[in-house]
Amino acid sequence: MPGHPPSPEPRGGPPSEGHRSGSGLALRGEASLRRRLLARDEQALVELIELASPWMLGLVQSILSDSDEAEEVVLEAFTAAWNAVGSLGDEHETLLPWLFRIARNRAIDRLRRHKRTRLKLARAEAMGALETTRVAPPEVNEAAQPGWHVHQSVHAALAGLPPEQGETVQLAYFHGLTHSEIAQRLGIPMGTVKTRLRLAFDKLRVALAPIKDWVP
Amino acid sequence: MKAHDWYVENRPAFVARSLERAEERTFIDHLVRCEECTREVARLERDLAWLPMGVAPVAPAPGLPRRMASRILDRPSRWRYAIPYGLAAAMALLAIGLSVRGRAERASMESQLATRDQRLAALQDTLSIVQRAQQILQAKISMNGHDGGLVIFQEPVSHRWYVVVHGLPPAPTGNVYQFWFITTSGMVRSVEVRGDPERPAFMTLPMPPVAAPVMGAALTVEPVVNRSTEPRGPMLAHVTF
Repeated sequence: MPGHPPSPEPRGGPPSEGHRSGSGLALRGEASLRRRLLARDEQALVELIELASPWMLGLVQSILSDSDEAEEVVLEAFTAAWNAVGSLGDEHETLLPWLFRIARNRAIDRLRRHKRTRLKLARAEAMGALETTRVAPPEVNEAAQPGWHVHQSVHAALAGLPPEQGETVQLAYFHGLTHSEIAQRLGIPMGTVKTRLRLAFDKLRVALAPIKDWVP
Repeated sequence: MKAHDWYVENRPAFVARSLERAEERTFIDHLVRCEECTREVARLERDLAWLPMGVAPVAPAPGLPRRMASRILDRPSRWRYAIPYGLAAAMALLAIGLSVRGRAERASMESQLATRDQRLAALQDTLSIVQRAQQILQAKISMNGHDGGLVIFQEPVSHRWYVVVHGLPPAPTGNVYQFWFITTSGMVRSVEVRGDPERPAFMTLPMPPVAAPVMGAALTVEPVVNRSTEPRGPMLAHVTF
């Protein structure tokens, strides 16, 4: 996972027909998708997986540095979501962020449950996965990738952070490290880690405000 | 510095999940009691809802979405069987049936092994919830002459519950058993529960994605049609912290 923010090119073939929508995600009307999921529409589940799995795989792989484990965690997250979609609030929560949170929490749980942090760090470091050099967004034509414009907005917001804050967000949010692990890695006090993260989140809240209420 | 300042200062860290384990547990305990922190954490999560999309997407392997859907629906994929059968037929035409049988058996055993590995991982996950449970809630259930129970293991680190419902007869025709979270702002619909007096229902549930703290849970009987966001049917069990 090179660079900050991690931005490898998507692998595999073109997105399915269900994804093509020009500027945004093809699944028009999240409410409609929710209703179909609640009605146990199996095709809706497939559409949701096709839509969300590339982003979830990217996120979970970033945390676990292991593609096989990432697939397992993403599957677990979709299973949990399928079983609990009825409990999803309809006012403030949209499907994708909810799924992302489930997947991210499970990835971090797995990382910590197996006490793999040290091993992962060593492995990731050996592979350059935690390389924090900032890189420009990849010059690839990803217009067809659902949600790509959101990715670009988030990427720009992350790139706009001061380097030390961006680095802290990357290690904490996208690699699942704790304060002490970040402090150890960067050779700075834990209080500095917390301060950098807090300042970074303040800036990100402002920078991401235009897309906060975006609904696929 | 007031004690509450620590929680205010660490809200971003809690959302990022970069707190140490003990700190995270302390923060979760605090959230149950502090409306302000619960509200602010929910707000921060909403503001950063799309931050996970800062990571570039990774296209799934071909067929993975369908395979995932099949696994979730507990329905084997057509291709999972079509490919070995097709392969076996082709090989039979080449008159090497014995070889085919050997391969098929190996594939079958590998498949079984993979399934067992996944099952084991699921059981380990379940066990971790039970081991880390901070509270266990129980309630007795009586339904149509059957006596059963509801048991909830509350696990504070990954915000999940392991729920066991046992001894329930099949739901009356046209009805389902409905599990609800009780929050400070009302009831939140969760999953339907299968009724089978011989086989307990086991469920791993994440916390409902609402800002209001969860105070407990309930099990009701609800009609299949014209469902409401609030429970209307008879209450079978009701537990609170």
